[in-house]
Amino acid sequence: MTTPTSMNKVADVPAAGPAPESVGARVLRALLTQRIALLAVLIVGVVAWFSIMDVGGYLTAAYDPDYLAASLINAVPLVMLGLAELLVILSGRGGIDLSVGAIVSLAGMVFGFTYGQWGWPLWLAIVATAAFGGLCGALNGFLVASIGFPALIATLATFYAFKSLAIVINDQRPISTPPIQDLFSLSRSVEIPVIGGELPDVPLGIFTFLIPTVVVVWMMLARTSYGRRLYAIGTNDVASRWAGLPVRDTRFKAYLYAGVVSGLVAVVTVAQFASARPDAGVSGSGMALPAITIAVLGGVAITGGIGRVSGVVLAALLIVWLNAGILLAFVGNEGSQYQLLALGVVLIFAALLNGLTNRRYGGSR
Amino acid sequence: MTIGTTAQRDPGPPAGEPARTAPRARHRILPAPVSGQELVLIGVIVVLWVVLAFATPAFFTAGSIQPLLVATAPVALVGIGMTIVIITGGIDVSVGAAIMVCSVITAKMLADQGVPLVVAVLLAVAVGGVLGLINGLLIAYGRVHAIIITFGTANLFQWLGLQIFGSSTVNGIPQTFDVFGRGVAGRTLGVPHAFLITVVIAAIAWWYLRHTPGGRHFYAIGGDPHAARLAGVRVQRRVLAAYVVTGLLVGLGSCFVIAQGTSTLDQTVGSGKELAVIAAVVIGGTSIMGGRGSVLGTLLGALLVQTVTSGVTQLGWNSQLSDLFVGVFIIVAVGADLLRERARRAV
Repeated sequence: MTTPTSMNKVADVPAAGPAPESVGARVLRALLTQRIALLAVLIVGVVAWFSIMDVGGYLTAAYDPDYLAASLINAVPLVMLGLAELLVILSGRGGIDLSVGAIVSLAGMVFGFTYGQWGWPLWLAIVATAAFGGLCGALNGFLVASIGFPALIATLATFYAFKSLAIVINDQRPISTPPIQDLFSLSRSVEIPVIGGELPDVPLGIFTFLIPTVVVVWMMLARTSYGRRLYAIGTNDVASRWAGLPVRDTRFKAYLYAGVVSGLVAVVTVAQFASARPDAGVSGSGMALPAITIAVLGGVAITGGIGRVSGVVLAALLIVWLNAGILLAFVGNEGSQYQLLALGVVLIFAALLNGLTNRRYGGSR
Repeated sequence: MTIGTTAQRDPGPPAGEPARTAPRARHRILPAPVSGQELVLIGVIVVLWVVLAFATPAFFTAGSIQPLLVATAPVALVGIGMTIVIITGGIDVSVGAAIMVCSVITAKMLADQGVPLVVAVLLAVAVGGVLGLINGLLIAYGRVHAIIITFGTANLFQWLGLQIFGSSTVNGIPQTFDVFGRGVAGRTLGVPHAFLITVVIAAIAWWYLRHTPGGRHFYAIGGDPHAARLAGVRVQRRVLAAYVVTGLLVGLGSCFVIAQGTSTLDQTVGSGKELAVIAAVVIGGTSIMGGRGSVLGTLLGALLVQTVTSGVTQLGWNSQLSDLFVGVFIIVAVGADLLRERARRAV
């Protein structure tokens, strides 16, 4: 059932062998095989480039640490959904989740009802929203892991279904009652305690949602047996089954957790817009495509079993700060158009680079 | 099953053997002209039409069926290309953005230069072909997973389209494309031209995919690209061709899209079409894993999706509900296919 791909598993042996390499070759090799190193260099390059443009007076506003910190609010949904895609893509067998944006829309409406209209306490509403996202993810997981649907098809179908339900459920109207509007404070910037005096203020959403999610996903992938199993089934489905791993259960949970993360993103999105919009996650090109882009850029192999949390986080930072700079470099909504160009070019570049790295060095990490 | 293998090696009926073994041998090589999935689809469409005809008397009239067929045409037409792409084991999620680029360029030429019909169609098809060529080159020779590349080019095409739009709509498009439209000018003997052209192209593609070596190569690549290459198929060229054909059809489909619209083209043109096209293809029974599928199924799938959309509107329900039904149909269609596949393997 696996998708046949010729460039999939190249032998793990380094191409260069034991022969001593020059410094240049070693640096190139490090950049190509260590995705984190490449992303770090690119981030430094992007920030430096826009800072120089800022000094030269080519930008419409200052590209300074305060601006960079404030733009981090855009990284919250991006990183979290990127991690959701990481979990799903890691699980292998063509794993992908096109429905995360639609889950964000639908779970956002659930949050709007529970917190905004029925007056549930905030923590209970958040738990309910995350649980509902998990339920949506469980439907994906059931279709993919238990029945054996190709992930692309199953999540395309649920994308349609959730998107439609989110719009129909409140008759196309957003929910923006006073409690929801007050939530906007969640996306305001705060001073970091103790050391914050010297540093720029950072959006609150970073601490309340982003960092906990990153830590939990990292712990799960790197420090639990579940994480090991996920990498195993993504690398080789059949071998994992013969090794006695609960393949179906592990894959099911990957989709379930992706749904839970999407539910949390719904809360962040509602707070950011101060309104539960029925099309929050699917308007424009939606939230799923950028999330998949982030995951691929972060070095996640679409064939499964390869990918790290740190890569996804750095890739999101790169895109967020690149977009923030582009927005300042153009007048009006030209900037938002050039963000599309940048995203497309970066994605194709990353994909071609992944292919090259696979052939030359036997894969990146 | 040795009879089949011998017959496969030697298509002509050997002397002494009765002639009726020949059709049996042909059967083993090619699947039936109309597969089970397609029969089921025809049944579902018939049932839906009958139910809708009873529910809303206005449904089963020429004034309702003709627009339905016109609206089916672009999705079905692009779906033909998408079917070939998916048969090779790829996918193209950039068609929505490509439709936007083709439409805006063609609409601008029509509105500003007043180009004649033939030139406009050729222009749209050429632009589509170039966009398809970009996808094809990157996928066939860059050796990167198709979904990733086409996500990337979707962004690029969208940027390109928006740039050409220039942050406004295209106004005052002349009536040049009325031959493809919903009006009287767009019909011969009551059949809309757009639908007729789609059916003719689908028929050619159906014959080509089924009965020529070139067409069978697409299936071979989808089944196992490595084995296909060893068997002498020029895999990269074939894959490239699949995306270029999709691009050409996107160009023609854009003409239909312009014809269906008003004299104004806005920036949302084509958005979401890629998913509608993929939905039509998979409902039609084409396997997303590659190596199996048919153009006829795609045509029926597109018709089904459009019937659901029209039906929901005509019943006076919330038009957004149609997406829910499309999702359910995808699950049911592919689920039924999965179950049959499992049963086939168990035998």
